[in-house]
Amino acid sequence: MVGAAISSITSSQITMIKGGGGGAAAAFPSKSMELRWIRRNSRRKIPNPNPSSREFGSLNSTPPPLMMPIYISADPSHINLQELSELYTSCNHSCHRFPKVDSNTGIVEEALDLNKLRIALSHSCVIVSVFCKPQHVKVTNITKQIQNQEQQKQMKRGFVGDLMESVAPINPSNGQLIGFGRAVSDLGLTASIYDVMVAPPLQGMGIGTIIVKRAVRILTTRGIYDIAALCSTKERFFFKACGFRDDILGSTTMMYGRTVSNTCFEGNELVTAAGRKLLLAPPLRVPPFPSSKTTKHQG
Amino acid sequence: MLTRNVAAPPSSLCPILSHDWHFQVSDQLLFPHNLNPNLNRATRKIKGFRLKANFWESIRSGILKNNATQIVEPPSTLEEEEEPVPEEFVLVEKSQPDGEVEQIIFSSGGDVDVYELQALCDKVGWPRRPLSKLAMALQNSYMVAALHSVRKFPGQEGNEEKKLIGMARATSDHAFNATIWDVLVDPNYQGQGLGKAMVEKMIRTLLQRDIGNITLFADSKVVEFYQNLGFEPDPEGIKGMFWYPRY
Repeated sequence: MVGAAISSITSSQITMIKGGGGGAAAAFPSKSMELRWIRRNSRRKIPNPNPSSREFGSLNSTPPPLMMPIYISADPSHINLQELSELYTSCNHSCHRFPKVDSNTGIVEEALDLNKLRIALSHSCVIVSVFCKPQHVKVTNITKQIQNQEQQKQMKRGFVGDLMESVAPINPSNGQLIGFGRAVSDLGLTASIYDVMVAPPLQGMGIGTIIVKRAVRILTTRGIYDIAALCSTKERFFFKACGFRDDILGSTTMMYGRTVSNTCFEGNELVTAAGRKLLLAPPLRVPPFPSSKTTKHQG
Repeated sequence: MLTRNVAAPPSSLCPILSHDWHFQVSDQLLFPHNLNPNLNRATRKIKGFRLKANFWESIRSGILKNNATQIVEPPSTLEEEEEPVPEEFVLVEKSQPDGEVEQIIFSSGGDVDVYELQALCDKVGWPRRPLSKLAMALQNSYMVAALHSVRKFPGQEGNEEKKLIGMARATSDHAFNATIWDVLVDPNYQGQGLGKAMVEKMIRTLLQRDIGNITLFADSKVVEFYQNLGFEPDPEGIKGMFWYPRY
């Protein structure tokens, strides 16, 4: 059967990829993806998508099925950079904490730097990706549409064909990336979770929580218990539901915010763009300088 | 020199990470690499290339997944990644009337003895953490800045006393985000602007590498210290949350 031939090629490819990349979560050598069933709350009304915002799928897309399988992977080699950048776009998420945003629509305006994303991924010690079957989510990007059409042409149709397709597990090449999350760690004491996102039509079904819990599980297995996540006001509810709390020691979260606009700009200092902020480096002090007694403070 | 270096040579990348991975699947490697478990001793550049090659291949395979064959490119075509170049310079120099000279030296090469660090943490009153975890964290931090005090005595050539008096470290994904952890200065040397100099140098290095999201979690007593350095508390409602296991 041609369908079987295709899936056998792709599964052997997975093993090749696996061999090349190594076990990402060495604690969980996952050769395949973990399957989970999620349920949509049928009583929850699906909000009308904002016509001017970028949506994943058509405006009149059918709601996701009541119960559907999703596939969770912790293997970084399962990530297709192009697909990931499309997920960032459809979730309206930016790698920068304060991205340039169109004031009318709220859409992130800046383009994603793929090179930087690749570097960030290669230094994230935990990468969680969630896939689903393409038929459960309308695909908008052209490459995937062509891919799906080709696959459908080659697969035998009919009752058995459909049955095989519905029970066949997916792999990164024929699954649709719908969720992502990553964590950066020093592998000893601390870790930070960044960029958790789920495709908008599938939000509210518990996928995000699964991503965060999987990342936390991988980290705690490695003995890292100090796990932080930066969240905006909206994201705070989400992380609270995942088991995160305000710091028990009462520490204050601070971010470097010395910008061109809020400081006297001398003109010869280093300026770095981070989203919509133009960060200004601290003034250069030429060492060695004489020791001076200032107010006593703890480091 | 009276110091003992227990920590491995400066490693501000996370190449240990990749090394860990392909160390585990040695029977499945496609690339003719020499799996040398003592890779730590190799020079940084070679280590970076060799270890990154595997990961690059895996990421690229994801992009080329429709091809049945693997494309193996020579490492020279990989992008050169910028690492913070370790710096070392004298911050302060004090001379005593009897000829003794004390220098405070800043270094960002991660040259921190983990036992000395533990002693310093005790001195400032921090809770103890397992030494192995501390060493691991130092190895895998993006940047480890240290302050050492070197005292040279007159007449005793080559006899100097060097001790660790301050440290700060930052973890990062090398592209967008960085978090500064564990900033500490020996209580006897506080109040001189040393902590400020360390953190400023860190920020400058991070900004030079185009890493714009610099975060830290400050104890209530030091919030003002960081505000003076340009940090804002809870900017635009952004807060940090921590995971707490439910028992």
